[in-house]
Amino acid sequence: MILIFGGAYQGKTAYAREHFGDKTIVNNFERIVLDWIKAGECLENNLQHFIEKNSSSVIVCTDISCGVVPIDPTMRKWRECVGRAMVLLTQKSNKVIRIYCGIPTTLK
Amino acid sequence: MQIFISGGCKNGKSAHAERVAIQLHKNSGPLYYIATMTPTDYEDEKRIARHQNERAGANFTTIEQPRNIEGILEKCDTSGSFLLDSLTALLANEMFLICGSFDKNAHKRVATGLEAILTHIENIVIVSDYIYSDAVLYDPLTELYRKSLAHVDRLMAAHCDVVLEVTYGQIIAHKGGKDYDAMA
Repeated sequence: MILIFGGAYQGKTAYAREHFGDKTIVNNFERIVLDWIKAGECLENNLQHFIEKNSSSVIVCTDISCGVVPIDPTMRKWRECVGRAMVLLTQKSNKVIRIYCGIPTTLK
Repeated sequence: MQIFISGGCKNGKSAHAERVAIQLHKNSGPLYYIATMTPTDYEDEKRIARHQNERAGANFTTIEQPRNIEGILEKCDTSGSFLLDSLTALLANEMFLICGSFDKNAHKRVATGLEAILTHIENIVIVSDYIYSDAVLYDPLTELYRKSLAHVDRLMAAHCDVVLEVTYGQIIAHKGGKDYDAMA
């Protein structure tokens, strides 16, 4: 698994397509987590299943961890769940890349 | 050298950008501060006054250019050194019009103006704001503004020799780190 993250509109997907076009690219991982939360599904199970299913995929995620604590409980839960899920995904990934203004930095 | 600086709010971007601009300048030719903010309230006035105080010691010539950024090419000696602070205010001024409407293509105009500047000005520091990592689903207009600013940011990052991220006063060089170290 390859993990690509960074702020919104930083060129993450363009980078994934350019460098890993031969692999399955899973976009907007943070939105997938939000769907799980809204559906009231078990995050641990879903995440485990997601990791097994995508062991050779490229996962693209928007970093939503650097703002003010959201007032809305669902948004608050979203931020925390994406953070915890991302810590696990970085552990499971062979390669972790952060994109800033279109420029990649390999963290792992 | 052309340098792009971004980072979070109140992380020391402007202060660092001023230091870098002064180093770039090396006491030859004029040193310009391109001011882009049009104050809309007391908070803005205080912010502007604070930045003016911080710049007071250095010999910046301040040029007010809240819109049509390429206009500085006619007002200034392009062989001088420039500090443009910030793209955030510039885009907001171009996008949100005084009459209350907005221009969804403002980023294209800003991008064209900035590209013209980079063609003619050799020494410039450009400051923007990193507003892309919070857990908020914004309204479509705010989202359009974020997307537009990111478009301009990425274009500037691609054009500039050096790209710096300022995080609580610490500097991360994403591009041109060696050139930056040699100058600093």
